Amino acid sequence: MNPYVLFFLLFGLGLGTTTTFASSHWLLAWMGLEINTLAILPLMTQDHHPRAVEAATKYFLTQATAAAMILFGSTTNAWLTGQWDIQQAIHPLPATMVMLGLALKIGLAPMHSWLPEVLQGLNLTTGLILSTWQKLAPFALLLQFQTTSTSLLIALGLASTLIGGWGGLNQTQLRKILAYSSIAHLGWMALILPFFPSLTLLTLIMYLIMTLSMFLAFKLNKSTNINTLALSWAKTPALTALAPLMLLSLGGLPPLTGFMPKWLILQELTKQELAPAATMAALTALLSLYFYLRLSYAMTLTTSPNNTAGITPWRLPSTQSTLPLAIAATTSLLLLPLTPAMTALLKL
Amino acid sequence: MTPAHFAFSSTFMLGLSGLAFYRTHLLSALICLEGMMLSLFIALSLWALQLDSTSFSAAPMLLLAFSACEASAGLALLVATARTHGTDRLQSLNLLQC
Repeated sequence: MNPYVLFFLLFGLGLGTTTTFASSHWLLAWMGLEINTLAILPLMTQDHHPRAVEAATKYFLTQATAAAMILFGSTTNAWLTGQWDIQQAIHPLPATMVMLGLALKIGLAPMHSWLPEVLQGLNLTTGLILSTWQKLAPFALLLQFQTTSTSLLIALGLASTLIGGWGGLNQTQLRKILAYSSIAHLGWMALILPFFPSLTLLTLIMYLIMTLSMFLAFKLNKSTNINTLALSWAKTPALTALAPLMLLSLGGLPPLTGFMPKWLILQELTKQELAPAATMAALTALLSLYFYLRLSYAMTLTTSPNNTAGITPWRLPSTQSTLPLAIAATTSLLLLPLTPAMTALLKL
Repeated sequence: MTPAHFAFSSTFMLGLSGLAFYRTHLLSALICLEGMMLSLFIALSLWALQLDSTSFSAAPMLLLAFSACEASAGLALLVATARTHGTDRLQSLNLLQC
């Protein structure tokens, strides 16, 4: 792709998210979301193969519908209450509609089914943008507007954690597994959103770091399914040793970063006397943990029967920069001792 | 609920249900999207007219500009789909399922 065009598109991505971040008016926030969608579509279709075009078409249809629902909800709110401000209290009916539009936009279950298919059709770089940067603008809106529909968010969150765990069980494609892991993490964020929004922000940041490290690791290995992961020990041994830890961090095991948001969310839910919801969420995290463990098993914990060419493949020095991967991997493993500082920093 | 409010709400809901349930051609999905955006245009312009708010009168034009961009992106994707899949039926968009 022409570097000027690429710069323009990346600038559009930044501009859209910044517009949504900076706006207090629903129309401007909607414009930011639209700029985001329009800017990522050419990035998705830069390889002209049928899968990329199909993924872009599906992404366009869902995102345009979601944006139209959000704008319709805010327009209805303006007709009913006469104001456009995001942070003002919003009428319950349009609040539900806006909430459903945002859930469709980020891919919460039961509006999730586009996310694995779209992510499967993209290359790993665009997939990385889609599953990290594109979540920021909808979450800025979700964190700002005041909803009264607690039960809707709890239902969406529990359904997402369940479906995110369940759907990933039978997958062998890494991008689909990452998409289901994204759905499960978004479920945790939606679950805590009505009670403690700053925890949602914390979970989002932790999820972004861990997903960044996983995508960069897969990109370094050029692997898009489990089979190619089995050869990674011959290419990047140190990364192969670290990857199971990153996966377990995504799954939320204690000494790693991923435990922090799950711990705080379960504690807060128990404080709010929602022990059944907390138990459900913790149990569905086991489903996710199963496929993370299977990935780490295929990647590190076992040696697949190989021929000589598989054991000593031809290696060239990699031209990719590994500094982002190193930083992301370190933060996705070692951030748990900083829990008090993080919670103090992220007060909303 | 005023009649105008009812009118644009039902138009939007018709467009949304058409988009959700009539899944044969990509072109009809795009037309449903366009109908939804036009009902939102009517809603915004009637809101600005009813309140006589001059500061808000630019909003319908902004909405129209963005929806035109969106429609053109949709048509570009329609052309791309027709070139790669050979048809614009949504049924044929099944490469990524499993």
